[in-house]
Amino acid sequence: MLQKLQRKTLIPAQLVGFALTLLVGATILLLALQLGADLKPLLNSQTDVFRAHTVTVSKNVTVFKTAQKKGIYFSDKELDKLKNQEFVKEVAQFNSSTFNVSAAISFGGQQMSTDLFFESVPDGYVDIQSDDWRWDSTSNFLPIVIPEDYLNLYNFGFAESQSLPVVAPGLLSQVTFNVFVEGNGKRRVYESRIVGLSGKINSILVPEEFLLWANREFGAADDKGSSRLLVEFSDASDERIAEYFKANGLNINQSELESSKMAFFFRLAMGFVMTIAVIIVVLSAALIMMSMNLIVQRNREMFVNLRNIGYSSRQIARFYKVVVSLLTVAVIVLSAVIVVWIRSYYLARLSTMFNTGGTLAPTIIGTLSLAALLLVISNYSLVRTIKRIIR
Amino acid sequence: MTIELHNVKPRYMSESEVAGSDIYLQPSVVFEQGRKYMVCARSGHGKTSLLNFIYGISDQYDGTIERRTENGERRAESGERLRLSVLSYMFQDLCLFPELTAMENVQLKNRLTDFKNDSEIEWMLDALLPEGKKHQPVATLSLGQRQRVAAVRALCQPMRFLLLDEPFSHLDHDTAAQVATMISAEVERQGAGLIVTALDPTDLFRFDKTMQL
Repeated sequence: MLQKLQRKTLIPAQLVGFALTLLVGATILLLALQLGADLKPLLNSQTDVFRAHTVTVSKNVTVFKTAQKKGIYFSDKELDKLKNQEFVKEVAQFNSSTFNVSAAISFGGQQMSTDLFFESVPDGYVDIQSDDWRWDSTSNFLPIVIPEDYLNLYNFGFAESQSLPVVAPGLLSQVTFNVFVEGNGKRRVYESRIVGLSGKINSILVPEEFLLWANREFGAADDKGSSRLLVEFSDASDERIAEYFKANGLNINQSELESSKMAFFFRLAMGFVMTIAVIIVVLSAALIMMSMNLIVQRNREMFVNLRNIGYSSRQIARFYKVVVSLLTVAVIVLSAVIVVWIRSYYLARLSTMFNTGGTLAPTIIGTLSLAALLLVISNYSLVRTIKRIIR
Repeated sequence: MTIELHNVKPRYMSESEVAGSDIYLQPSVVFEQGRKYMVCARSGHGKTSLLNFIYGISDQYDGTIERRTENGERRAESGERLRLSVLSYMFQDLCLFPELTAMENVQLKNRLTDFKNDSEIEWMLDALLPEGKKHQPVATLSLGQRQRVAAVRALCQPMRFLLLDEPFSHLDHDTAAQVATMISAEVERQGAGLIVTALDPTDLFRFDKTMQL
């Protein structure tokens, strides 16, 4: 009976308007959350840990420098000059090993051994995420990072031409081998594993802490300086950068700059889309609240009469609470379904290009929290609106 | 239960307007449960206001209104509890829902109290309304018929007092007598008190006391 009375007070056009705006807002919001989470590993490996505006810089190797090897190192003066450029925020140096390194691995009794070199950069610039990337002076374990290109070179070049099996990154990190460090009449054996592949730094990396210690322990005394630098820009899109590097005979990997710019713009666009989505959701909430307010104002007499014959504001509000809650939940669930559907499409496309391994957690958590938030707000404001009218 | 008024005066009326009233600004006016009171006044003298104050849906008055038990303790019910089990009120403007039928209007109230069953309600409506009217939307009923529906609705709850605000203003004497008989029966059955306002004194209920507002 009460329902029959109150059903007529609803304004269908406004409910549809609410449902549509919420559908658009919630879908965009959830999709942005999900896409952001799905692409995060990709963006991270490309730029995040490597900071958005960092590139590797080296000197051009010329015929002259081949003979005069010292020419490839950066002098203190050159370093200072670079550091003082307006567009440069920070400069970090590569450290090289000044001791002998060799690695050995045994395959079914057959020992294979090779000479190596190590370099290190400050930890913040290493573009991998692994808990094993840590050196502990008491432990015999030494984590190593090699360039992604090495594996690609093997997988797509060597293995292909020699009909050898290809190796997945995950498999590679399972293999342990021995590393021999030698110098100053001392020798030590480490157990080692490749804990990650760097897409950015074209070198064999060990934790900086280890390298600095090992250089003191095993290394030759003379410090040659760095041949490569990591340069962090305050604004990677600054036009002076390319000019400066060209004028000073420095080599900069342009694609690194581009991809960090791209990632930056992607984030910017994502943030923009999220903001718009939040605004749309807020507007939809405002719309339904205004609609309810209008209903209460229009039917003030009916609400007062109900109060007069003994209905509580809670009982009067119940029908509207149920309608708004059901509509909200249905629309948000529908948005989640749409997001899952769209995701299956873009994942299919992305997985051909990248290694994607996200979960649906962002959509699920987003759906639940958005629904919970909207339900709490709408129910609270509904009861308040009705109470205000009938006291 | 008693309803006690002390120095009550509507805020929007001046002292000269309520001068000579048996109720307004009197140090103590007591309505006792089980007794019947007639409150007479000309239009605009605050009859509806008085009942609204007692019923608790308006607080635009000075002075105090208290409900006390037989032992003299204060009763503090308010809101729905007061309206559903202590006081019943037949409003002057009826407070019916025009889009619902007569039957549904009564049921809407009875659902809250579960005090009468459907056949009792039908019997009461049949006794007062012309044949077939009880299933028509209230919007299609005459004012007098609506008044009867409101009267039936007011009887569908447990009560200590029944407040009637000009209940028979649109009824002829015979119909009014018929309605009054039904109301009296329910009030006496429940041992409730009755406060009726009217423009002129009537003899429809055997009033214990008639007061001028």
